[in-house]
This record gives sequence, C-alpha cells and structure tokens, in this order.
Amino acid sequence: MTDSIHLSRLRKWFLASPPIEFAITNLKELLIGALRQGPIPQHVAFVMDGNRRFARSHGIETVEGHNLGFEALARILEVCYKSGVKVVTIYAFSIENFKRSKFEVDALMDMAKVKLSQMAQHGDLLDRYGAKVRVLGRLDLLKPDVLAAVNKAVDLTSRNGDRVLNICFPYTSRDEITSAIRETVEDYSTPLKSTNGAGRTPFSESHITHNIRAQNLGTKPHDMSSDSDSLSAESSTNEDDPILRNDYPHRVYESGSSFSSSTTLHLGQQDGHPQKGATQGNTSDPAFISPETITRQTLSDHMLTKGTPPLDMLIRTSAVERLSDFMLWQCHENTEIVFLNVLWPEFDLWHFLPVMLGWQRRISKSRQNPEAEGNFAGDSPESSEEDLDARALRQGKVKGI
Amino acid sequence: MPSRSSRETIRAQIRNKGDALTPADREALLKPYLPDPADLTTSRSARSSRLRSKSKPRKTPIRTFIKSQIHRLAYALTHIIFGIVVRLIQAYHAVVDRILAIVYHHHRTPELIRKDVRSLKRLPQHLSVILTLRKEDDALAVLMDEVAELTAWCTCAGIAQLSVYEKSGVLKSCIPALHQIISTKLASYHGTSQQPSLQLYAPHHAVHGPSTPSAANDITCLLLSSTDGRETIVDLTKTLAEMSQNGKLSPEDITPELVDAEITEITAHPVRGNGSRASGSLLKAEPDLLLVFGPFLKLDGFPPWQLRLTEMYCTGDRSYGATGDGEAVEYQGFMRGLWHYAGAQMRFGR
Repeated sequence: MTDSIHLSRLRKWFLASPPIEFAITNLKELLIGALRQGPIPQHVAFVMDGNRRFARSHGIETVEGHNLGFEALARILEVCYKSGVKVVTIYAFSIENFKRSKFEVDALMDMAKVKLSQMAQHGDLLDRYGAKVRVLGRLDLLKPDVLAAVNKAVDLTSRNGDRVLNICFPYTSRDEITSAIRETVEDYSTPLKSTNGAGRTPFSESHITHNIRAQNLGTKPHDMSSDSDSLSAESSTNEDDPILRNDYPHRVYESGSSFSSSTTLHLGQQDGHPQKGATQGNTSDPAFISPETITRQTLSDHMLTKGTPPLDMLIRTSAVERLSDFMLWQCHENTEIVFLNVLWPEFDLWHFLPVMLGWQRRISKSRQNPEAEGNFAGDSPESSEEDLDARALRQGKVKGI
Repeated sequence: MPSRSSRETIRAQIRNKGDALTPADREALLKPYLPDPADLTTSRSARSSRLRSKSKPRKTPIRTFIKSQIHRLAYALTHIIFGIVVRLIQAYHAVVDRILAIVYHHHRTPELIRKDVRSLKRLPQHLSVILTLRKEDDALAVLMDEVAELTAWCTCAGIAQLSVYEKSGVLKSCIPALHQIISTKLASYHGTSQQPSLQLYAPHHAVHGPSTPSAANDITCLLLSSTDGRETIVDLTKTLAEMSQNGKLSPEDITPELVDAEITEITAHPVRGNGSRASGSLLKAEPDLLLVFGPFLKLDGFPPWQLRLTEMYCTGDRSYGATGDGEAVEYQGFMRGLWHYAGAQMRFGR
C-alpha cells in the first residue's frame, strides 16, 4: 500500500517535471495537429458523468469533484476546438437534477454562476479566442442571479467566431421535443398576416376559380362528369364542383395565400379593392398555413440546437450506457454513440483520441465504399470517380492496412 | 494545457472563493497556454489577419510547411498503429466470440437457455433489437429467421416483450408470413404441445395472434421502422396544429405528459381487433435494453422518444471485412447483451 502511494507520488513528480511536461505538451500538440489532417466531426456532445463517483472514490467533497470535472471540460474543449470541431454540446444539468440534495444543487448553481461571470470578466479575451456560448434549456427554472450571469455570458460571446459551446443547463430532451412541438403548433395557429396576399403566389386563386367557374358554365355539367369519371376519380373531384372544392381548402388548409372563401364570393369587388377583400376574409375566417407542411425539418428548426450541424458523435463517460434524456431527437439517426469506462474528471485526450481515430477510420472507409455499413452520407462531399480513386489510393498509402 | 503548478494556483483560488486572483492575474496565468491569435483560421479574423499579413509578410513559410508535413506523417503513423491495434482487438474478440459460441450453444433447448439466464440478477422486461436488412437476395428470409430466433430465445429466457426495429419497415408488410415463421420456430424449440402463444403487431396494424393469453411464457412482439420515429412526432404535431387552428386546444396544453401519452398510445398498446380488452397485455413503452447488432452503436432512426432511459449494448465489430454490412444475430451476442444488462461478467464455463 505505502509502496503504491510512493510510486504514484514519484509518478506525479516525474510527470510534473519541466522536461517531461514539455514533451507531453508537444506530443499532445502533435497528435491534435495530426487529427486535423483527417475528417473531423462537426458537432460533438458530451455527457459529463462521474463527477460524484470520482469524488466518492477519491474521498473528496462532491463539489470538489464537480470542480475537477470543470477542469476536464476545459481540457477537452481545448482539444475539440483545436482539432476543428465546430460545435460542442455538453449536458451540464438535467431538470431531474433539481431533485438532488439542496446543498449540491446550490453548489452546482454557484459554480455555474462563478464560471460564467469569470467568462464575462474576460470579455475581450473570449472575443479573440473564445467560442460562442449558448445555454439551452429551461432558463425559467433558474434563480434570477444565475439567470443574470447566463444572460451576461451569452450576450458577451454572441459576436464570437464560428465555434459554439452549447451548455444544456436545466435540460431534458423530452422537454425540448415538447417545447418544439408547442412552438410549432403556436406558429401554425397564428393567422397569416394579410398585408399583400397577392404577392405570395404567382397565380391568383380567385382568378383560377373564376376561370373554372366560367369553364363549367360554358360546358354541360353532365358531359363533364361522365367524361372525368371515365378518366379518373381524382380529376372529377378537381373539376366537378368548384364551389365545394374551394370552400374546403380555403377555410383551414390555405397554404401560402391569405384569400379565404369570402373573397371568392365577391369576385367583382376583389378586382377593385383587393385589400379590403383580403382583410374581410381574415376577420371572418382566419387563414392558416396548412399543418401538412410540417416536416421533420420544421421540428428540427424548433429544437434548441437549431442552426448547428447534425450531431456526429455523442460521448458519455463513466460506463453508464444510456442517454438519460439527452439529445434524443438529435442523436437517433446517424450519430455514433460512445460509452467510455472512465469517470469524467479523468477524461483526457488519451481517452478521446481512440474515439476520434475510430471515427476517422470509419468515415474514410465509408467514403471509399459508400455502400458499406456505417455510411455517414451526410457530410461526405460527393466526388467524381477519379477523385474517389485518388483518395482511395492516398488512404491506402496513408493507412497501409 | 496549463502546467501543474498553475493548475494548483487556480485550484487554490477556487477554494478561496475567487479572492486570490484578480481577472488580470488569471489572464496573465493563462496567456502562455492560449493559441497565438495568428493561428486562428476563423473567418471572423480574416480582416485582422489580412492587416497583419500586410504589416509583416509571411514569416515562416518553410517552418509552416515542415509543420504540416510532420502533422501529415503523424496522422499516417497514428492511423497505422491504430489500425493494427484495432485489428488485433477484433481478432481477439472474434476468437472469444467463437469460443463463446461453442461453449454457449442453445441446441434449441429451452432448458439450456433458462439455465444460462438463471444466474442473472435482472432481466429486461422489454427488449429491443436493431436489425439490418442485408443486401443479398435472400435478405428478407434471413431477417425473418433472425426475428424468429430472437423471439424463441426471449420466450426461453422469460422476456415477455420484444420489439424489433428494422429501418425500411419491410417486416411490417409481411406480418402473417412472419407470424407463421415464428410459430414454426417456437414449435421447434418448445414442441407443439407447450408452444407459447405469440402476439405480433406493428403500429397502425392489427394484432396478429390469439387475443387471449394462455401460458406464462407468452410473448408480445412489436415491429418498428423508421416511420415510427421522427415521422410519428411530426404526425402528432400536425394533428395538434390542426386542433389548435380549429380552436380545440391551446398550445399551453401541450406538456411532456400529453406527448408521452400520445406516443405511447401508438407504439405500446396492442390494438385489439375486437377492442374488447385492451389492457390485458400492455407493452411497456420504454425498452429496458436495446441490443444493436452492428459494428458500432448507431441508432439508425430508432424511435427517439422511448429511448430516454434505455440501456444500450452493441454486439460490436467482430466479423469485420467480407460482408461489411450487418452483423449476424447469434445467440452469444444476445447472451452478452443480457449479461451486460445484469452487470455480470461473461464466463468461459457454463
């Protein structure tokens, strides 16, 4: 037992001696520079798990464990940004974590406040080197003083470069998805503004209705229906009964235009006073964007991570192999999920490097052979055949395996 | 990377609640470790760097060139070493896998499988698997056979709920045939006399199988595809938006509980044909364990909402190379997943 303590002291002393430290620093620089040569994930997420366990196993205060965790975060952020990762998302605090002991929650909040206000003190430094800080989550659950620190830090860094640090601070993914749904619903249930509806579509719907009506009046209704029946059922509904048809989509399913059924009834007025007709329609029967235009992209744009590249990699430490309500929407498609058996305060380049190398290997392999499993088609630029050949040749040379 | 001594200073300062150092001190402490502004290649600094390059022309072209060449060399070297290590690890795992395959073979005997899981501290109530459709001609037959095997193992191990995710959803289109295949497989394991009954269904499809559970080791099997993931949430949003437009719902009513209830409704309740007793065998909405039969952990569109607390296990990249796509579904992979879930170690003796 004493032996091991002495050994570890010796090791610490050895590692801390200037030449060794210099060598290690340079080796790290070299490895990061090497990583830059290959493909790099654009967006990496971390679940910083294991601070408490680390504190317990090393016999230190839980708060101290969180502090060490913050150091590990700074370390890994440095590695990420230097190697070219654009966006880093970290899971700092879950909404569920409010259930922990008050002492710990307060300590965590305090730490967040101190760190964020320290960031704010270094405003100009962050301007030069730093990343944009964004805080994702239910900010309304925070205490006012913490919220003030958050806002200050976010404001200060909002003009920074293209690197982004997303801090998920009171966050759960289900809450995020629900908020996205709610916001989408709110967007779609606000009536369209009727400033100049005619400018929205190149064709005027009222004009089309007018034409169809004129056509129908001209042709015999019986001929028309028998004709379209023989063609197809669809066309018959399209041309048969314009009034019935128009009534329906105009009320709710108006897509992109603000004219409503009332405008079609006053066709004569419409030409003379388009503005009046439109407003009239709006007050009596508001027009909405059709809910059918909601897509995955619509929801993705309402997620808190909007505007960031798709999540390429999610890393969770401390060998807990579940997502715990983090980035569910973002990571369930092409993200590579990695669970590492290391506690977060110990997490360093040496654990991160194999993960990155594995990712690079897989990416370059999937680019060589797009048919293979693990094809991240999303970020591989399409290349011509000879380009592919050249790359394959190069990769063959580079890897030698 | 700050050196140890300066790290100690920072820690001491943290302990003293931030009184030991002024912001200026901290900046001075960190200065040596920050990157040189000239190295930053962000578009933001394009203007300033242009100014700089005007004032002092490029200083070290040769040094930069050598540096980049060194980095390129280091990249090649690390990837060569990493490749060798990965191959060695793969070979090791392949050997272990083969040994396990010999030691733990189920021989289609429920008793053996039961014996294998008896020592486990906990078993998942609801197991999910992600399977991939291969590219050969008989891919569908292989896939259906895999589903049948998995179902049989689950009945033997005492797992009552299984959900099978396959991205394209091809399984959903042949539920009756699949039911037939699984039933045959179950009969070959358990014998026709005490064959467990099987309920097979997919979201928006009717339940296929007997409506009244008979034996203890019945199994409910749910088929999922990528349309049950984001698309379901999109559909829910559409419906909610429509309701809100018609004034039947206010956006404030949308809570996680509501969304959870709706999504659970779609994937978790077997919709009975007669609709008489729907609460008989409810499927647990969130799977306890997700087994990924593939070279690495990628969810590939698995329904996100349900994954909140699911443990994940990937059988790993063992049979690397030849086929390249998909991983064979083998009994030892299934067992390793269960061991992992129970927190047990695999052993080389039964």
